[in-house]
Amino acid sequence: MSGEHEHFIDKVDLEARRRAAKVIYEKFAPVIKDVLAGRPPKLVIPKRTLANTVFDPERGILVLGEEMLEREFLDLGESRRFMQTLLMAAIIYQSLIENEYPTIRDLYYKGKHTIVYRDLRGRRQEENTWDEQKESDAVIQDVEVFTGLFREDMLILSKEKGKVVGNMRIRSGNDVIDLSKLGHGAYAIESTADLIEFIDVDAEFVLVVEKDAVFQQLHRAGFWRKYRAILVTGSGQPDRATRRFVRRLHDEYNLPVYVITDSDPYGWYIYFVYKVGSINLSYESERLATPKARFLGVQMSDVFGYGSKKPYLSDSERKKFIIKATDRDVKRAKELLKNYPWIYKNPLWKREIEIFLKKKAKLEIEAIASKGIKFFAFKYIPEKIETGDWIQ
Amino acid sequence: MARRRRTSSVTEERYKSRSVAEMIAKHGEFAGFQNPTRALYQTIRELVENSLDATDTKKILPWIHISIKEESRNSVNGARPWYIVTVEDNGVGIPVTVMAQAFGKVLFSSKYVIKQTRGMFGLGVKAVTIYAQQTTGSPIEVYSSTAESQYVYMMKIKIDMKNNMPKVLEKGDWAKKAAWRGTRVRVKIEGDWKKAKSKIIEYVKRTAIIAPYAEIIFETPDGTIYYYPRTTRKMPEPPKEAKPHPHGVNVEDLREIIASSKARTLKELLVSEFQSVGEKTALEFLSKFGFDPDMNPKELLKREKEGELVKLVEALSQFKFRAPKSDYLSPLGRDIIIEGLTRMFSPEWVDAVTRPPKSYKGHPFIVEVGMAYGGAIKPVDEPVLLRYANKIPLLYEEREDVSYKVLKSINWKNYNVEFPAPLIVLIHIASTKVPYKGLGKESISETPELESEIRNAVQEVARRLKSYLIKKEREEEAMRKAEALAKYIPEIAWSLAVLSKPPDSWTPPTPEEVNMFKEKLIDIVAEKVRVVGPGGEEVDMKKLVKRVVDSVELE
Ligand SMILES: Nc1ncnc2c1ncn2[C@@H]1O[C@H](COP(=O)(O)OP(=O)(O)OP(=O)(O)O)[C@@H](O)[C@H]1O
Ligand SMILES: [Mg+2]
Repeated sequence: MSGEHEHFIDKVDLEARRRAAKVIYEKFAPVIKDVLAGRPPKLVIPKRTLANTVFDPERGILVLGEEMLEREFLDLGESRRFMQTLLMAAIIYQSLIENEYPTIRDLYYKGKHTIVYRDLRGRRQEENTWDEQKESDAVIQDVEVFTGLFREDMLILSKEKGKVVGNMRIRSGNDVIDLSKLGHGAYAIESTADLIEFIDVDAEFVLVVEKDAVFQQLHRAGFWRKYRAILVTGSGQPDRATRRFVRRLHDEYNLPVYVITDSDPYGWYIYFVYKVGSINLSYESERLATPKARFLGVQMSDVFGYGSKKPYLSDSERKKFIIKATDRDVKRAKELLKNYPWIYKNPLWKREIEIFLKKKAKLEIEAIASKGIKFFAFKYIPEKIETGDWIQ
Repeated sequence: MARRRRTSSVTEERYKSRSVAEMIAKHGEFAGFQNPTRALYQTIRELVENSLDATDTKKILPWIHISIKEESRNSVNGARPWYIVTVEDNGVGIPVTVMAQAFGKVLFSSKYVIKQTRGMFGLGVKAVTIYAQQTTGSPIEVYSSTAESQYVYMMKIKIDMKNNMPKVLEKGDWAKKAAWRGTRVRVKIEGDWKKAKSKIIEYVKRTAIIAPYAEIIFETPDGTIYYYPRTTRKMPEPPKEAKPHPHGVNVEDLREIIASSKARTLKELLVSEFQSVGEKTALEFLSKFGFDPDMNPKELLKREKEGELVKLVEALSQFKFRAPKSDYLSPLGRDIIIEGLTRMFSPEWVDAVTRPPKSYKGHPFIVEVGMAYGGAIKPVDEPVLLRYANKIPLLYEEREDVSYKVLKSINWKNYNVEFPAPLIVLIHIASTKVPYKGLGKESISETPELESEIRNAVQEVARRLKSYLIKKEREEEAMRKAEALAKYIPEIAWSLAVLSKPPDSWTPPTPEEVNMFKEKLIDIVAEKVRVVGPGGEEVDMKKLVKRVVDSVELE
């Protein structure tokens, strides 16, 4: 590890690089040994297919199954991917050693070459190492599962989406940051959430809201101060860092996590990403998912009432705020009910979705908020937490 | 019901005898002279085939010069053009004593023997003479000299149709200055070059295909000269003359044989005048059918013995004699077929087979099949068929021909050939008696023995083609595989070089380090992807893989 600017870089980063580089070096050593011995090289990688994604009911998360994939160079169906995996690994390895902070887009450009060659008939042929970023992103995932390292562990950065405020202090790099002293702003959760050190946390629970606008409203209304909450938003679909951050708060401080999203299949999906993990990136769940996260709202029963439960909205409000569900929403809801055991085995979820399918109506969080932020922050949320009106 | 007698007016029949020459003159179509187009084509054929019979069947490497010139004349409007056709060869020549008859008497031939020649009827050139006489009124002109002769003789000959006798209009002789030997025939006929052109050019080309040992020059009326040089000196063995096989004679044949034979007993007759009959066989045969071996065969020619003669012929055709000999057949042979197809079509693969002799009705025959595939051959929707009989190319009536029918029934997919495909199939039938459908010798009838033998031959060569195509397919697949892997080697080698150095002492890989991994990977690929070429030779994969790897540039 060298570099004249190294002394500006904080130790945490350098340590992380050293660890990751060592893992990569050791993981690829057998492949190199094979080649040097004249043996056809191969990579044994856990399969990232849907068929090899299983729900671990004990831990409540999606994980990769036992199935392994042998990616052999000499197998024509795999040789291109073999080349790509090695190329990506080499670029990442070199970046780690040379103190680079590539994003996944940078990696895409760094490795995108056109292989120009003459075939055996002497014709000129061309092939790109990869064509779209989608292709190189998938290769990064292969490197992740092959090495057991997450991209963040390999100092690959991505756009920061998550924000957090609350009574807590953290160390990021060489600096200590007090997350309760950020004014109207918030701390943007860094890509490498594992490199954040929690110094002290003084809170009762974590409240995750789907939308940034709602986050700002609650922040300014002083919600987190009043209820001693850590307030987090993933600004829509949460990135990995936000999910890891929430999970760490839950694990390390035993804080209950409540999630508020829109009341529609897309909102539910976001909640499940926090809770279970996303189905096509199940290998991350082990570290990113928070299985005990609670869906606080907005529930269908908050809108329409259920049994003895009274709705939070009056008839006229309801008329004003609810939106008609689209065919796609309905289809998606039916799929959820059919395909995912953690949904159809949960009677509360079944109830939620059945109301939705019956009413064919959805509702955005803003609707509840527009009834008045005071209602939302100081009645709706605390009441539901207090009465345990959530789904887990 | 009462019977009523039918009354009819009987006109007197007028009887008339006609000579064979008159018959040909009247029915040109029998000989292939049905119209000016066919006539020009047929004229070339008759003359060229006679020239080839006078050369290769006599162990002479042929040199043949063909020329067609249009005669300029002040013709009546709309009259057909006349052509002067000249064919010259370096063959054995014609003795002056028979020259007039050879060209001027229908059914006069030197080829009425049991032996495979192109000519067989004794008609061909006379049909030309008659046609010239009918259309331009001019005689056929022949120059010829044999090796022994001191002179070159010339005759201008017409035919006296009524008597089927030659009329010599003019003759001459010149003392030879050099050792010239051969024949030049010149004839002026009506024709239609424009329409006949493509067939005639094709005919000469096909002649050249199976005669790579011949030098052929062909001048067309357009001034184009087609020149087919000799590409080999190897010639097919000339046919030997044979005695008839007992299965191949009819009553008249037998009568003729007995009449001309010196044999004094029936047994002696069988042994000396027939092939495939020894003393033992003769005795066994005669006793089986109750003939007296010591009987004088001439007895059978007597009128009261007519029944005996017929019985003998029937017995001969029933008895199981040894199969007819085939050394009076002259197949082309595998080498010549391969040479001919190669030089004309430059295929990527060619092979041929000469099947063992078989017989039908006492006539031996040999089927030969050659196939050429790929290379310069253009893919078409069905195999291109080149038909030959006794070394004569057959161009007309393709769909009538037994070979076409056999070919049509072959399921080429079984031989890994998917049409359109670049496939040429040459089929040659050699026999002392080719079962032509007509005197024009254009197509061969569906004789079962012939048909099954053609099928066998086609299948035999097709199987070899198949194994070539399979090997080629395998080779191509292996090549594609080698290529598909080789192109990634530079990227992988670089990646491995990067990953091979421990993090603490890492430096960017040097070209040597990258090369070392390249070499290793090339070895691994070359080891795995083994290729055996279609000829059975091991392909140097390492070289091929390296070639692709070295060609890679990263942009
Ligand atoms: N160019 C030639 N050189 C030597 N002899 C020839 C030549 N042309 C013709 N002859 C002789 O003339 C004879 C008659 O020829 P013609 O073409 O009429 O009959 P053929 O070849 O015997 O049989 P076919 O009717 O089948 O052609 C031949 O048998 C041959 O002996
Ligand atoms: Mg002839």
